[in-house]
Amino acid sequence: MTTDWTPAALSRDIPAASAAPGQLGETDLAIWRSASGRIAAWSDRCPHRGMRLSHGFVRGERLSCIYHGWGYGEGGQCVRIPAHPELTPPEAIKVPVFAAAEASGVVWVADGTPAGAPPEFPGFEGFRSLRIHAPATVLARAFGGAGHVIEGTLGPCAVVALIQPLPGNVSALHLLAPEGAGPATLDALSLAAEALRRTAEAQAEQAEEETA
Amino acid sequence: MSDQGAMRDHWYPVGMTKQLTAGGRDTLLMGEPIRVYLDNGAPAVSDGTGRSLPVIDRFGHVWTSLGAPNRDLFTIPEADQPGRRLVDVGVCRVRCSPLRAVENFLDIAHFPFVHTDILGSEPHTEVQRYEVEIREDVDEVWATKVKFYQPQAAKSAEGGITTDYMYRVCAPTCSVLYKTCPPKPGEWDVIALFVQPLTETLCEVWPWMALYDDAAEMTDLIHFQQMIFVQDRSVLENQLPALLPLDPGMEIPTRADMTSIAYRRWLKRHGFTYGAQLVAA
Amino acid sequence: MATELFSIAGQVDAPGFAPWIERHARRIGVGVTLLQAASDHVEIEVEGPPALLDAMEMGCLLGPIEVWVESIVRERVCAAGA
Repeated sequence: MTTDWTPAALSRDIPAASAAPGQLGETDLAIWRSASGRIAAWSDRCPHRGMRLSHGFVRGERLSCIYHGWGYGEGGQCVRIPAHPELTPPEAIKVPVFAAAEASGVVWVADGTPAGAPPEFPGFEGFRSLRIHAPATVLARAFGGAGHVIEGTLGPCAVVALIQPLPGNVSALHLLAPEGAGPATLDALSLAAEALRRTAEAQAEQAEEETA
Repeated sequence: MSDQGAMRDHWYPVGMTKQLTAGGRDTLLMGEPIRVYLDNGAPAVSDGTGRSLPVIDRFGHVWTSLGAPNRDLFTIPEADQPGRRLVDVGVCRVRCSPLRAVENFLDIAHFPFVHTDILGSEPHTEVQRYEVEIREDVDEVWATKVKFYQPQAAKSAEGGITTDYMYRVCAPTCSVLYKTCPPKPGEWDVIALFVQPLTETLCEVWPWMALYDDAAEMTDLIHFQQMIFVQDRSVLENQLPALLPLDPGMEIPTRADMTSIAYRRWLKRHGFTYGAQLVAA
Repeated sequence: MATELFSIAGQVDAPGFAPWIERHARRIGVGVTLLQAASDHVEIEVEGPPALLDAMEMGCLLGPIEVWVESIVRERVCAAGA
């Protein structure tokens, strides 16, 4: 299965009126949700003086930089420069924007205009994201699969594993669990995910030693 | 080793005099290991090869240089005025360029957002026009007639006031600010930021103050300033790129950034580029 | 909106300076016309809201690394509401 979309976060980890850091390939992202619930993925850098926008604050439908309060609205358009309140910021001042969409409790991002909507996994919902110090291929193999979207079993239940390659031989594992799974199942799934992390990281370390 | 360039021949703070011991403090100066210690009761500094480095003991701190400074360390005349309390705030390690730490110290527009309800508050966010110059006679950057509304300008301030500021950059990694002194109208409180460049992207910041506040406990004064700096640190460690750009082609400086621009021009003119990047990126 | 003449003096003869000025003007949303370029000064006409003309001055004062801007003298050309 292939898609232009990259899984970058779980919807549940970005509640309304909050921002968090994310990644698309080498690009640092600020993934944020407006008060009304709209998700967006922007370059994680305020055009003013380079502060990470993922540290910013959300009011209403705007994301503002925590450093000098420059506010940005739809499409990354700058709408407010507090030091110069009389100025209507020009259209030119914009944060680069990436495509962002949600499906099955996952925030998907893409550069440009992806073909179609991100994949749905009926019966599954976002459960946990883990950052793992192993390349995506090693992580996929440790899970017993290949590629970046793997449907299989982990611990007590069926899961969908979305693997996001990150710079520096690091991966994110976005794990989807069956909808309505009980606390005992999810606790066991968490333990299995931690075990998978340890296995993948040990295998990555071993592979590195062999090449060294 | 990164290029220390013209900054090598300048003075840098490397420790608090009061904290020195015979055993000493192992630290870094511009990427090179140094030891700061007491030698027969006097501050001394040696580099990784055991070579003795020049030492000045001033403003409660020990200063040294890897090179050959051709002038004395700057002075702060107010430090000698009777009645002032001299406060060594301590050290705060920050994962940022030493130049970014200074630039942030020169900035007022961030007060309402980073030091919310202390040094600034919305809706009082406007930065009024102020004056900036490079004073050729002393080779320092000065910003004057800076005004900003502050809910709690100092430990000694009760309620909001419009605070007057002056800023002075007197060395590549040192700045002194003068601000309205609530208990003593007509006088200025003095707050200095002495920055020790450990590497191009790591520094230790030693704030120092000379205040007329005679009511507050010393520990409260120290805690107030430390709290302010911890708030600044969360910004400083998250600015991109890590090095201070001397080309603003990827940024949008406005009139409120006038002191920042003057500081960067002064760095550029002198080739003070340790912790800077020459091109926009 | 206002239009101002910027006389930029200094070591400004690097060939990269004019495109740098145009790029910066585009990024901050002001109009710019290059009027004259000599080895020791560049003259540009800048059009935009006053706060952005100030911002343009800030950017040009620092400029790219291969130029040294000594001073910028600004002169109001017109302040017509555009």
